[in-house]
Amino acid sequence: MAFDKMELRDIEVWDGNFAAAQALRQCQIDVVAAYPITPSTPIVEGYAKFLADGYVEGEFVMVESEHAAMSGCIGAAAAGGRVATATSSQGLALMSETLYQASGMRLPIVLNLVNRALAAPLNVNGDHSDMYMVRDSGWIQFDAYNPQEAYDLNFIAFKVAEDHDVRLPAIVNQDGFMTSHTAQGVKTLTDDAAYNFVGEFKPMNDMLDLDHPVTHGVQTEEDWHFEHKARQHRDLMVTVMPKIQAAFDEFEKLSGRKYNIVEEYDMDDADVAVVCMGTSVETAREVATEMRAQGIKAGVVGIRVLRPFPFMEIAEALKDVKAIAALDRSSPNGAAGMLFNEIAGALFNTDTKALLSGYVYGLGGRDLTKAHLRDLYKELQANADAGKVTTQLQQFIGVRGPKLAFL
Amino acid sequence: MANKGWDEFEIGAMLRSFNGPVSDVALTHQEDRDYSENNSFTASVADWRIEKPVFNKDYCIDCQFCWIYCPDISIISRDKKMVGVDMDHCKGCGICVEVCPTNPKSLLMYSEQTDEEEALAAWPSKETGEK
Amino acid sequence: MSEIKKIKNLKEFSTSADRFEGANLLCPGCAHSIIVREVLNATNDDLILSASTGCLEVCTAVYPYTSWDASWIHIGFENGSTAVAGAEAMYKALKTKGRLKQPDREPKFVSFAGDGASYDIGFQWISGCMERGHNMMHIVLDNEVYANTGGQRSSSTPIGSSATTSPAGRISYGEKKNKKDMISIMAAHQIPYAAQVAPNKWKDMVKKIQHGLAVEGPVFINAMSACTTEWKFDPKDTMSISDLATDSLVFPLYEIID
Repeated sequence: MAFDKMELRDIEVWDGNFAAAQALRQCQIDVVAAYPITPSTPIVEGYAKFLADGYVEGEFVMVESEHAAMSGCIGAAAAGGRVATATSSQGLALMSETLYQASGMRLPIVLNLVNRALAAPLNVNGDHSDMYMVRDSGWIQFDAYNPQEAYDLNFIAFKVAEDHDVRLPAIVNQDGFMTSHTAQGVKTLTDDAAYNFVGEFKPMNDMLDLDHPVTHGVQTEEDWHFEHKARQHRDLMVTVMPKIQAAFDEFEKLSGRKYNIVEEYDMDDADVAVVCMGTSVETAREVATEMRAQGIKAGVVGIRVLRPFPFMEIAEALKDVKAIAALDRSSPNGAAGMLFNEIAGALFNTDTKALLSGYVYGLGGRDLTKAHLRDLYKELQANADAGKVTTQLQQFIGVRGPKLAFL
Repeated sequence: MANKGWDEFEIGAMLRSFNGPVSDVALTHQEDRDYSENNSFTASVADWRIEKPVFNKDYCIDCQFCWIYCPDISIISRDKKMVGVDMDHCKGCGICVEVCPTNPKSLLMYSEQTDEEEALAAWPSKETGEK
Repeated sequence: MSEIKKIKNLKEFSTSADRFEGANLLCPGCAHSIIVREVLNATNDDLILSASTGCLEVCTAVYPYTSWDASWIHIGFENGSTAVAGAEAMYKALKTKGRLKQPDREPKFVSFAGDGASYDIGFQWISGCMERGHNMMHIVLDNEVYANTGGQRSSSTPIGSSATTSPAGRISYGEKKNKKDMISIMAAHQIPYAAQVAPNKWKDMVKKIQHGLAVEGPVFINAMSACTTEWKFDPKDTMSISDLATDSLVFPLYEIID
């Protein structure tokens, strides 16, 4: 090896971006094609610096747009090697055309998506609009709630995405600024342990295998397109989740850190539950504990894997709850929220009598405070006590002006 | 090729040009290649033609103009000699006839139904004098 | 660097084994495939190819068939150049890391795109590829019109042309703007080689392609591609129309070295 290993302390103080950059170094990415955008930029800057300092070997291609970043990643991945990039918000919007190309061509690229609001109005702070925008693009989506998870989930993403039974690209989400720029203690893996977990890249249908010419990116019209899309959906529905679970299990053996498809907190006997993503999960957990001290049996369900959506796991986690709040950090713009809809779908044909209400919060980086969550849990308890939803089904929380509620 | 179900093809709609490995495609002529069923070489566009080129070896000087300008890889040349027309892949554009420099031409367009032997038997003779 | 293929005359050239196949769906008489054949046959090197969305792409990789005997990729309308640039970056990475399956072979990286995909929608991507210095060749199949979508003007459409979106009519002579001088723009990227070619001048074209494949760094080639469908001529006349364009210097052939 013509590069040096890095000696890491058992616990380093890293923000989410640097944690992801370190993970890319330890996975020994062959090609990063990237374009800067706040707040994700330090991830690819980190890779570039590791390259410049001789701590990783590969090619860093600083392209002229996010669309070109993913285009270059697709070309590189089709050529046959380990490929990653990072982006946020408008950058993701610009590259969104190519996300469908990457997944349709079954290329295992890993994209670190540092979640940020979508303009207009322009905003650099964290919400989940970008994550939601590409939820049907055929990518696996993981969600990290803190820098530790941003680090760990990168290894898991590569392991799952590159599995020859999967061969689908994966997004690792983390909240812009709240995770990406907040330094916390991160328990590290050694370079060897991390790389051994991910393993050598095993090429498949690689263009650079000159003895086996391949054609990628064909045209399929009405006589073929449906079958190819159906195959991709089937693999997401059937193959991916067991592979993710296996990777979680193996990672737990390696690191002692346990990940779950849905992360349940105090759900065993919960009467009321909040379902959310990102940093809000940690806040909700704190508040749930406080609520229990006040006699409300509160729990939290965090979505760890957004795609494929954990339909069965969500239904199982919520089956004995009396009232549920679905928290969406993205403006639904004329509908109930995404999580509200997905959870409703997951519960509809079950025996649950749970009451479901939706909350839209935190747009453009607006804080979700513990006070918000206390009120929210109290509302859920009131719903549970009344045996019906006592508020409107959709409420905005944390927004100034007259109360906004719909449905 | 028969339409297959969703579970019967390579993921990613990936296609292979050949069965098995090839190491020197650029030095291997078509007849010596092991094409996959997905290579368009195994398909035909013969039904596109209204007219077809007929090749008359007697007048050919092997200049290879027809070979270089054929859009459809349908002029078969081997060892610097024009061998014939690949009628599975010829679309009948007529470029080969236009660029043929011999007098009379060594390639002429005939309706698709014309019998080749009859066409050769009735080949025009050398054009002479002023037009 | 690999040896340049010896092609001293057409007879010798005709011993080439084509790596582009028939029963593609290009129109009868289409110059695109004549250009592709001349490019591919100009070298015996391994090739990694791309095509941007357009006639060439939609006619040569229609499932379940491919007409390509070398590895080939298509992503979208604008980014064929960057697809090949990404593959070239991976080649360099794997070479450094000793992971190439055939380490002794040095493939050439070539992207094909139409004038719409190059002069217009893919302009930024090509500029990026040229500026970054990838070891690749971008070839424009320049028929001066959006042929795949049915004849709309592109910024390559020359003044006086009648395209469907700049039609000649009772009070208009058609396209009002001169053709964009793409080669000068590309040459301004300080690339080692840019050239304009036409398939009817095969010897000139092969010489330029060979030069372009031999130099290190990005190369830009603009190839005139007479379009029987949109220029509205008989398919048999592709070569004579091409000769008119090059011999009259409506489409001059030239090169810009370094």
